[in-house]
Amino acid sequence: MKEYKPKIVCFLCKWCTSAGADLAGTSRLKYPASILPIRVMCSSRIDPMFVVKAFLNGADGVFIGGCHPGDCHYHEGNYHTRRRFAMLTKVFDTLGLDSKRLKLSWISASEGTKFAKVSNEYTEKIKSYGENPSKWNVFL
Amino acid sequence: MSDRIGVYVCECGPNIADKVDIKRILTEISDLNEPPEKIIIAKKHKLLCSKEGQDFLAGEIIENELTHLVIAACSPRDHDITFMNVCKRTDLNPYLYKLVNIREHCAWIIPDKDEATEKAIQYIRAGISRVTYQSPLTEKELDSIPDVLVIGAGIAGIEASLSLAGEKRKVYLVEKTSSIGGNVTRFEKILPHQGTNLDIIQEKIKTVQENENIKVFTETEVEKAIGFFGNFEITLKNIQDEEQKKEFKVGAIVVATGFNLFNPEKIPRYGYGKIEDIYTSMEIEESNSKTGKILLKSGKPPKSAALIHCVGREEKGYCSRVCCNYMFKIAQYLKEKTPAIKITEFYQDLCLPNKADQEFYVDTKNKGVDFICFKDIAVKQKDKDKFIEYTKMDGKKEKISAEMIILAPAIEPAVGSKDIAELLNISLDETGFFQEAHQKLNPIATSIDGVFIVGSAQNPKNIPDSMMDAQAVGGKILTQLIPGVKLVPEVIISEISDAFCTGCQTCLSVCSYGAIYFDEDRNISVVNEAICRGCGNCVASCPSGAAHAKHFTSLQIYQEVLEAIR
Ligand SMILES: Cc1cc2nc3c(=O)[nH]c(=O)nc-3n(C[C@H](O)[C@H](O)[C@H](O)COP(=O)(O)OP(=O)(O)OC[C@H]3O[C@@H](n4cnc5c(N)ncnc54)[C@H](O)[C@@H]3O)c2cc1C
Ligand code: SF4
Ligand code: SF4
Ligand code: SF4
Ligand code: FES
Repeated sequence: MKEYKPKIVCFLCKWCTSAGADLAGTSRLKYPASILPIRVMCSSRIDPMFVVKAFLNGADGVFIGGCHPGDCHYHEGNYHTRRRFAMLTKVFDTLGLDSKRLKLSWISASEGTKFAKVSNEYTEKIKSYGENPSKWNVFL
Repeated sequence: MSDRIGVYVCECGPNIADKVDIKRILTEISDLNEPPEKIIIAKKHKLLCSKEGQDFLAGEIIENELTHLVIAACSPRDHDITFMNVCKRTDLNPYLYKLVNIREHCAWIIPDKDEATEKAIQYIRAGISRVTYQSPLTEKELDSIPDVLVIGAGIAGIEASLSLAGEKRKVYLVEKTSSIGGNVTRFEKILPHQGTNLDIIQEKIKTVQENENIKVFTETEVEKAIGFFGNFEITLKNIQDEEQKKEFKVGAIVVATGFNLFNPEKIPRYGYGKIEDIYTSMEIEESNSKTGKILLKSGKPPKSAALIHCVGREEKGYCSRVCCNYMFKIAQYLKEKTPAIKITEFYQDLCLPNKADQEFYVDTKNKGVDFICFKDIAVKQKDKDKFIEYTKMDGKKEKISAEMIILAPAIEPAVGSKDIAELLNISLDETGFFQEAHQKLNPIATSIDGVFIVGSAQNPKNIPDSMMDAQAVGGKILTQLIPGVKLVPEVIISEISDAFCTGCQTCLSVCSYGAIYFDEDRNISVVNEAICRGCGNCVASCPSGAAHAKHFTSLQIYQEVLEAIR
């Protein structure tokens, strides 16, 4: 049997985490192919519905990456992200989705190593949970 | 019409070519061809960003009459602009192109070539899917006004005005008091390494008043400022006669409102306002500069003086940075007048940030001034005598008497800073000074484009630092607001659809730039295109799907995500 390769959607803000992911690449760090970065202008662009949709369409995990608190290119965008993420976690639980599969992390443009580390650890974690079951019982 | 999508994979020399199987990518991507609706042309090139590579791309776009372009290469941080410019050379709108990063996100991170190739294919598919949902966008040009409004005519505001005013650029310098020059004009001297006398300052004041491109308004305040970088509408009002208004337009605004001193009466242990012969540093400066004398209330010169630094430092939570130096200056004033005077300076920490400061400190010490580092301090009165009771760093309690006590109260943001912040839609930080865009990377800009802060309005600062800010702002504005040159505002911005907006104003509350206003008549929110930066926060917050982020629409993002996880 082929090894289970999870699909992890990563919404990364253009200014920090996306640049951090680039640096991980430039530094030739290794992390799994499961990590699928999607670039947005700011983490605050991420509509909680994106995350729900990604899950219902087969993502095994969703990882949101933004600038460190206080460093958002748009000042307070990531504070809104943090609040929305907290709300999303609750909504996930009420909907019977697995909020453990969600991750929010602040990674700066200079933290290539942190990006690779988070990506590796998070992929391992998702692997241990196995495939996302909710994509088989769509109820929304 | 059918979509004609060109997909070009870059080898990046060996960088990509060695790590992914480009041949397999091209075959699998070509298989996505679905004529007649979707025609896919997939090719590779060894170095797309080179001049030759760019010419190749431009030729391909024209020859194949491409409607969309996908490039699989490096990070958009490297070459997004390069390829957008290639599009601009042809008829293809640059927003109908998408760069897929298969180098940093695939080639360089995945050791297994097959795995890297598969991810690259998945990723390119997502890019193709997204690009077909992208819409053409056009860059607009706006007229900009080169003139500048400077609020506050202290040394920072004056220096900013001087570095900005010119034949093609007027400066409006607004001062709320009746004279210009700010706090500096109240001093007898400035520090010795700054030139000692105030000639340079007086000279600058004179030059500003004589400059025909600088219009000075005293006893005036800003009443209104509406607009955006390149075009602010300003209304001034005269403080004495509120009916007397003045309206004009500027392209940028410089806030130089400076500082006030903390009122030491708020901390009763210093005895200020209750015990005789306790003065603030500024009172001493003023008396010395007006009368040339520093005297006790009795009219006699003091035989002993205690100078207390750091008054209000703990309460305010920051160091005021300039006090140590000017307290040495005051000690030297006293020594010059009465060489036999006994002077003790009490400090909590010495702040000597500039290169000449240490020397000035040593020089003051050598002139016979005593320095004591304290943990606690209080001023007490017994009969006619005043005492300083203090605890030293080692915990020992001691006291000395002094005829005159001089306090260095904390530097506070100017009275009215809050009103200015509200007027301009900028923020104050937790200390009450104006909040800079970034403390290290952009200390003179604010969250609003075209609004700058200089001098002690941003942070306690000495004269040279305040002037340096002003010159830096001068440079920024001169390069960003060139007379006759049009401004090209951000294209990737948000918009609100009238039909869907319910007027709930959630979006308004999340925007950091005040880019959304509420149209009372139509009961909907509207994005001001010139101010919006396109972060998309409002879009994620809108409960009715009325707000859209151009080039990052929900549909575009969904299409990319769905294809990536398929
Ligand atoms: C006792 C003392 C001695 C000092 N000695 C020295 C020294 O020797 N050397 C040195 O380098 N530094 C010294 N400093 C620091 C120095 O005063 C500051 O660096 C300098 O004044 C900063 O200039 P500024 O233009 O930023 O602010 P300010 O001098 O405070 O000027 C601000 C101006 O803006 C005006 N204003 C405020 N609000 C508004 C408004 N809403 N609308 C219109 N106008 C407004 C004010 O009336 C004022 O004219 C000393 C400070 C003190 C307290
Ligand atoms: S376009 Fe990017 S990937 Fe291609 S050669 Fe240039 S740097 Fe390398
Ligand atoms: S959040 Fe949406 S519905 Fe509410 S005012 Fe803004 S655009 Fe309109
Ligand atoms: S996109 Fe960002 S800057 Fe533009 S209106 Fe929305 S919240 Fe404000
Ligand atoms: S730009 Fe990175 S979180 Fe806002």
